This record gives sequence, structure tokens and C-alpha cells, in this order.
Amino acid sequence: MARIGNAKQLAEYRKQVKASKPESRKAIAVCAGTGCKAFGSFELFEAFREALARHELDRQWDLRATGCHGFCERGPLVLFFPDGMLYQRVKSSDVDEIVQTTLKQGKVVDRLLYTDPQSGDAYIKERDIPFYKHQRRLVLEQNGQIDPCSIDDYIALGGYSALAKALAMGPHRVLDEVERAHLRGRGGAGFPAGRKWKTCRGTESDKRYIICNADEGDPGAFMDRSVLEGNPHSVLEGMIIGAFAIGADEGWVYVRQEYPLAIERLELALEAARAKGLLGEDILGSGFAFDVHINRGGGAFVCGEESALIASLEGRRGVPRRRPPYPAVAGLHGKPTNINNVETWANVPLIVGKGADWFRSIGTEGSKGTKIFSLVGKVNNTGLVEVPMGMPLRQIVEDIGGGIPGGKRFKAVQTGGPSGGCLPADKLDVAVDFDSLTAEGSMMGSGGMIVMDEDTCMVDVARYFVGFLKFESCGNCTSCRDGLERMHELLTDITEGRGTDETIALLEDLAATVKATSLCALGTTAVNPVQSTLKYFRDEYEAHVRDKRCPARVCKALISYTIDNDACTGCTLCAKRCPQDAISGQKKGPHTIDQDKCIKCGICRDVCTYDAVRVE
Amino acid sequence: MARRGRLVIKPDRCTGCRTCELACAFVHSTGGLLGLSRIRIREAGAGPEGDRHLQMTCLQCIEAACVKVCPVDALVRNEDTGAIEVSERCIGCGLCAVVCPFGHMHFDRMLGRPIKCDLCGGAPTCAAFCPHGALEVR
Amino acid sequence: MERRFKINDIDVKARAGEHLLDVARRYGFEIPSLCHHEALPPIGACRICLVEVAWGGRRELCTSCNFEVIEGMQVTTDTPAVQHHRAMNLELLLARAPGSARLRELAAQYGVRRTRFGPPATSPLPNCILCELCVRACEQLGNHALTMVGRGDKKRIGLAFNSPSEQCTGCASCASVCPTECIPVKDTAAGRTIWGQTHPLVLCKVCGAPVMTERQRAKAIAKKGLPEEYYDFCESCKQSTASKRFASIVW
Ligand SMILES: Cc1cc2nc3c(=O)[nH]c(=O)nc-3n(C[C@H](O)[C@H](O)[C@H](O)COP(=O)(O)O)c2cc1C
Ligand code: SF4
Ligand code: SF4
Ligand code: FES
Repeated sequence: MARIGNAKQLAEYRKQVKASKPESRKAIAVCAGTGCKAFGSFELFEAFREALARHELDRQWDLRATGCHGFCERGPLVLFFPDGMLYQRVKSSDVDEIVQTTLKQGKVVDRLLYTDPQSGDAYIKERDIPFYKHQRRLVLEQNGQIDPCSIDDYIALGGYSALAKALAMGPHRVLDEVERAHLRGRGGAGFPAGRKWKTCRGTESDKRYIICNADEGDPGAFMDRSVLEGNPHSVLEGMIIGAFAIGADEGWVYVRQEYPLAIERLELALEAARAKGLLGEDILGSGFAFDVHINRGGGAFVCGEESALIASLEGRRGVPRRRPPYPAVAGLHGKPTNINNVETWANVPLIVGKGADWFRSIGTEGSKGTKIFSLVGKVNNTGLVEVPMGMPLRQIVEDIGGGIPGGKRFKAVQTGGPSGGCLPADKLDVAVDFDSLTAEGSMMGSGGMIVMDEDTCMVDVARYFVGFLKFESCGNCTSCRDGLERMHELLTDITEGRGTDETIALLEDLAATVKATSLCALGTTAVNPVQSTLKYFRDEYEAHVRDKRCPARVCKALISYTIDNDACTGCTLCAKRCPQDAISGQKKGPHTIDQDKCIKCGICRDVCTYDAVRVE
Repeated sequence: MARRGRLVIKPDRCTGCRTCELACAFVHSTGGLLGLSRIRIREAGAGPEGDRHLQMTCLQCIEAACVKVCPVDALVRNEDTGAIEVSERCIGCGLCAVVCPFGHMHFDRMLGRPIKCDLCGGAPTCAAFCPHGALEVR
Repeated sequence: MERRFKINDIDVKARAGEHLLDVARRYGFEIPSLCHHEALPPIGACRICLVEVAWGGRRELCTSCNFEVIEGMQVTTDTPAVQHHRAMNLELLLARAPGSARLRELAAQYGVRRTRFGPPATSPLPNCILCELCVRACEQLGNHALTMVGRGDKKRIGLAFNSPSEQCTGCASCASVCPTECIPVKDTAAGRTIWGQTHPLVLCKVCGAPVMTERQRAKAIAKKGLPEEYYDFCESCKQSTASKRFASIVW
């Protein structure tokens, strides 16, 4: 593995790599993302390798274990190039048939295709599947195409050409380009990256650092993980370009400990880039030197906040401090430090490579480019979706997500992770961009998106998130630490039937103080789930405190199970299954539930074949 | 530099009436707790004209041990009056009282603070109240 | 470098990097605080020193203790919003420290005479408001015996590594700075008991009264370079020795 000495050699090397691949550009991409791995994609990959060798097809087909394709729910996924056919839920036992039918005869194995659960339509090509059709994959584009452990795969698709271009442009033109692209940080706050870079460069210092924030503490979010696992070089290239523009010679990636695969692939990427002369001393013969270290974070949510992250990197307790001074002025070890999110860094090679004008053509006035969301909850298609900024929420939920399963009604969607707000059905036409979401009382956050259906109690949802956040608060501020704990108590009172109108009033009052007086954004945004549900679903709160009723029939203290005498056939099944022996009645006669004994586990309702158990 | 009044002690005039202690206690604490007085009268045996007394209070040393020992630089010299004052920086470790060679500093556990003469901002109250001219401001 | 700005419409000056609360107090403005100490780095924990700050088209509620002054800003120390949120934070703290007279008094000034919240679920040290002054004082002394343990609603003050600490000198500075006076210190003939340890005391060579703890003495001697005999006598014995010496000079 020789070092690549300059841009020309990089182009030559790219030609060589391409020439070594099968001429037909035929490739089989087995997803090796964390989701598909859990479904057994590693064994599947081995089965393919073995089968290709056995059938002597390994020179015609390039077999790759790739990063996450986003449609994790349907894994393991196998994608065929160049035509883009997708097989889903593939098992090792399917491999022989695939080789015989698809590889040898060019025919489709129908049962492995994705079928829309609602329309029943089957799709051959990945890009035609509704889940993918409405997406615009820029950052994730190569995830399904390249082997994340192979720098050659990345280079073959044009990787590191943006770096070569940046080195030729010089730092100031790169800064201008990124600023002009109006790239906003993808980690939550949406601060313009170009401005931050310029501040950092503009601060006099003998040393500057850059940091990639890969802490990703939102429960259920895996955007950053998928990018790091699927395309680590894109993040690294972004960081090298950034360091060059900013004038930094040292970088850190702060990855949470729970992402061992991401760490492993990143380490491989760093080694490969160093060996090729793309990282370390004299990068691509430019004289510019820069290296990157990896730090494993302990996994506290608050350590994702930039000043807490820096404290943690310095070996102190991960507690936020007041900004300003911002890290770009005084960060790691007091030096100017530019910190950006994984996805932000991954956008940089695209911007430098294709130009700010191209980037600006995507998205809305205030928010350019795309954003990756992790779409979960009560939708038919869950997974990672990348959409242009400004797409209406409705399109994400209905077209990409495929609507709500089981014919249930949509109730709310929470955007922005645990401290995002919950938006109701009449806000579904809101454009998904930084400013519109904030205006409606929610936020872009780092890209969590949870869909809720009619069976969700919004008071209970607020209680759940406040419970998470009070636990994750660093505990510094009275307002955040004690305020959230008290809000959680009040919400518990409401869900357990002890609430009154005063409880709601105090909750609102407290939320205002937590928002207005907490030090970091954990505290100031933690009240979003409460304030937004109070704003859009106040009737549910009122039903809990005034009528002692949970409209979604979730809050156990406020519901009771009864048996409808007309529907009950006296089969005795429920009585047999009740763990509390709370159900009595004669065989073939109507049954009743002893409310004193009932613990509201709901088993009777689940087992009743005649739908005779009612919840009030 | 022109400093405002220096406190001059004249033990030979002191009768031991302790008016100074009382005056000090009143300006430095509510209710005039004598224990909080910064000046103390010590008996110094009998002389030809009766019992002798000495007024003991901080000397505002040039190279003060208390200033040296303080871990948080809480003892600061007031350049106007020359007095070493206990600033808000004090964290109550008590070392200053331990090292004062004359015992002029008193550490009050209740307050968590040392107690010492601050020359009342340049106009020592003790001197103003001494009926015998045993404390003078010059 | 100098920064000029206004507090309650009055022109003030400060050094760049200074914190607003210190400047305001220098000029005689009253802002309440619980977790601030001049000798210790501010952390903005209690959220009581709130003020309203307007600069560059922004208007925000900020804690003044950790707010670095900005040229041209306008500070208001007592708006209705400031009062309202101070009161709520005081009410929250009052539930933690109902036994603190200082807190009760301060809360009463903001019309908070009782708290609507019960005792907190976890509070191993009664009346502690988690302001970290003790931890910061201990750090400042270079002892590092105290630390914060846990986070969120589980946060509490504890000994580093949760065992009687080698580092603790028994100086009781923590107890001195504590705004709610909630750290128990007991001096007896056996020594000073604090944080689960009893520290042997150095006794006055003349009268036998306690002077300081042995660890405190050893540390001070090692660090401060004053003669050892400076640490040998109690205040009272030193004063009587000194008075005798003075007397011999006068008469
Ligand atoms: C409680 C909290 C948690 C955060 N967690 C993350 C995180 O996991 N990843 C991230 O990139 N940014 C996170 N942030 C945002 C960072 O503080 C910071 O704004 C971001 O890393 C800046 O990068 P960007 O400008 O590229 O978004 C968090 C902020 C807060 C207040
Ligand atoms: S707002 Fe919450 S998480 Fe942020 S510093 Fe304050 S206590 Fe810590
Ligand atoms: S013990 Fe006292 S000083 Fe320490 S955190 Fe608690 S209230 Fe603050
Ligand atoms: S004194 Fe400023 S937050 Fe406590």
C-alpha cells in the first residue's frame, strides 16, 4: 500500500481500483449494518462468498458487506448492482436459489421482493419502493454501495477527490464555500457551520482542534451510527477538509462506547487513510498535517452537549458550562475548537466536491441540503430516511413511513429526540426544517422521529420523556434537576388520578421556569414534550384530572376492565388466565371481574375470542 | 503614599476600662457581642500606679503570615488604610488564625470566618471612644 | 481590556472576562445568590442570581455569576420575570433545605413561605442544595476529597471513591462555605469528626487547647513554608505571650 503523493496520483490510483473491479460492475451488497447483523447478515455474507466460489462466479460478481441501507426492519437486505434490485429478509438458506435463479438465469425470486403491506404491490428495484422513492439520499447514498472497511471502495466512487480539491482551493476559499452553502449543524441547534469555522479560524492561537460529535444519546436514534458504520471515510474526509480550512492539526471523534462496530470501522478507516497519506503528515503532498484520535464516551446523554463533551474529553465530569465563550473561541484545553456533528461533517465532501450552488439548490430558504431521520413508532415502514429539508411531515409519515399500521388513526409525531415536541394531525403539513419545527414548538434536534397512533396517551408520553430527561440531566441546575423531577411527580399524579386543575397550572408554571432558567439546552428544551402536549392535547390532560378518565385507555389507574354480558359466552378462558383470580362466573354463563382484585394487566382482553372485555 | 490615620497604641494611658472592646464589638456585630471584638485588653501585671493593661490588636504586619498562608488570597491589604481585610474570597479554612504569631486573629467557628481589625475603613472606632486617649489616630 | 455597559441604566465598567455578578456587587447592586463564592469558579447551579440581559438584539434571562460581561449590554437586575423565576427556583430549593434559615429568609423575600413540593426522593445529606460550593472549596485547596456523585435527580455530594478519604484534612472549609450549613462538624477531645472520619488534633503546647487537625498542619507546613512553631499554639496563648513581650518593652 503506497502513499498517494498528490492529487494526480490519487486520480491514477482511482483508475487502478476501478480497473480491478469486475468489468460488468456487477456487485452484490449484503447489508452489514447493526440491524441486519442482528438478523444474521454475517452468516448470509459467508454463505454468498462460499456459493460464489463454488459456482465460480466470484470473478463476475463483486461481493460486499456494506453499511446500513436504512430499511432495517426488513433485514437482512441484499442489493444487486448495477440495476438496484433489492431482496429483503434474506436467509442463508435462500442463497442457493438466488445463485441459481437470479445470478445464473437473471430471474427474480418473487418471494424475496418487498411487498407493500397495504397495496400488496411487489417492487423489484430499491428506488421504486415507496420507502426509498421519496427520499433524497446524499449522505447515505454510498451506504448501500461500498464496503465500509475498504478505502478502495470509497476512492473508486470518487472519495477523497473533494479533499484534493480543497487542498488546491486553499483554506479561505473552502471557508467561503462552506459558508455560502449555508450548511447548518445537524447535531441539534442548526448553527451555520461556515460561521463557526470562520470564528474558530479567526481566533488567534498556536493550536486549534476539531471534534466530531458522535455521542448520539437519543434513545432510538441511529443516524450517526449508520453513517459511521456505513461510510466512515465520508466523515473523515469532511474532518480533514474542515481541519485544513480551520487550521487545526488535531481532531477527536467522540463516539459512545455502545457503538463498538462504529469504533472498529472508524479505526480501520483511520489506519487506511494514514497508510495512503490522506491523514497524518504532509497530506497528499500539500505539507498540511492533521491526525485524528478516537475517544469512547461513557454514554451519558448530556455528554453530547458540546461543553460537557469537551469537559469529558479533558477527563473531567461531563457537565455543561455556560457559553460564551463558545468552544470555537475557547474549547478543548482552552484552545479554539470546532465541534460538529457526524452528519454535518459527512456533508462537507459533498459541498466541496459538488459546490455550494448545487447544495443550495436542495432544501428551503433557511435550511439547505438534506436531513437524516430515524423514523420509528407506529408507522408501517420504520428505519433511516434521508429527505430534502422542507418536506412536509405528512409525506414522511404517510408516503415514506407508509402510514399507521392496523388501520389506526394517527395522533401525533414527535420530532427531535426526547426533548422534541409532539405535533398533532393538523400540523402534519409543517415543512421539516429547522425554523418551521421550532416555530411549532418542536425542533429538528438530531433527527429522531416517533409516530404515535390513537392508542397513545399524550400525558403518559410527556411523563415518559420527562422521566428520561430528569434521569439524564447532569444535575447542576436547580431548575433542570429539581424542576424536571417535580414535573415528573406532577405528571405521575395526573396519570394516576390524583391530579386537579391546580396540578396542570403548577406544571405549566414550572415548565416555564425550567425553560427560562436552565443553563444548557437539555434543560431549556426538556419541557418541549410537556408544553407541546399541553398546547395541542390539553383536552387529554383535562380528561385525566376532571373526569379521571384516560381517553387513550393507557393510564392504568384510570381504566377498568369489565365484561360485556351480551357478548360473553361463558367460555371461562379469561377466568383461567387471570393471574389474580379476579374473574368469576359459571361455565356458559356471564362472567364478571372483581375490581378490587384486578391489576389491569389486560390479559383477559387479549385472550377473549368474543371481544367481550371492555376497557373504560 | 498618604494613608489615612494610623492607629497608635499608648499602653501607659490604658486603664483597662474596655470601652474600646465594646465600641469595636458594636460596629462589627449586631448587638455588640464582646467575643467579636477585634481589640482585646490584656492584663500586664501591677505597676507603681496600679494594674497595667495592654491593648492587643492586629499590627497590620508588612510581611504578614496570615496573608502568606491563605490558600485563596482572601486577605487583602486596603491601600487606603493600610489594613489587611478579610475579603469575600475567604473559604473559612482557619489557617490565618493558626499562624498569626501574636494571636491577633480569631477564627469564629460559628461564622466560619476569621475576625480581625480592619481599622474601620480608616477611622478606628475604638480610638474615637477611648476616654483616656490611650488609642490615637495619627 | 475594558468593557462598558449599563446595569439598571447606570454606566459601569469592568475588565473583559469578569463575571457580571462580581461587577454588579462592586457597584452596590443587590443580586441574591446561593452557589456563588468569590474565590471559587462559578458554575451557575442555584439559578437564583438571575438577571435580564439585552445585547445585540437579544434579550435573555441569565445567571449573572457565570456571565462574562459584554460590551454595550443592558442589564436589569429585577424585572417581574426575574422575580417570578427566582421565586420558583427558591421554592424548589426550599423543598430540599427546609431547615436552612438563610434559604427560608431569602425565599420569604420573594413571597415563598411554604413549598408545594414534598421532600426530594433522594437526599442523603439533609438540607443540601447541591450547590457544589463544598466540592469547589475542597478542590481549590488542592485536597480533592469531595466530589459530586451521580447525575440528574440522583446527584449528591460524596467522598471521592466513597470511602473515608486520605485527602480530607478535616479543615472544615466545606462546612464554612456551605450556604445551608448542612455539613456536620463535631469537635471533641478525641478530635474533629467530619465526613465519617475523626481527625486527631494538634493541641496548644501551652494550654492544650485544640489548634488545628494534624493533617491540616502537615499539609500547611509542606505547602506554605512558614516555620513549624507558627502552628504550635492557640490564639489565646499566643496573645498572652505576645502581651508579656510587649509589656517588657513598654515598661
Ligand atoms: C443535551 C444535549 C445533547 C446533545 N447531544 C448531541 C449528540 O448526541 N450529538 C451531536 O452531534 N450533538 C449533540 N448536541 C448538540 C451539541 O451541543 C452541539 O451543538 C453539536 O455537536 C454541534 O454540532 P453541529 O453544529 O454540527 O450540529 C447535544 C446538545 C444537548 C444540549
Ligand atoms: S440544564 Fe440540566 S443538563 Fe444542562 S447544565 Fe443544567 S442541570 Fe445540567
Ligand atoms: S453540602 Fe452545602 S456547600 Fe456542599 S453542595 Fe450541599 S449545600 Fe452546597
Ligand atoms: S449564584 Fe449564580 S447560579 Fe447560583
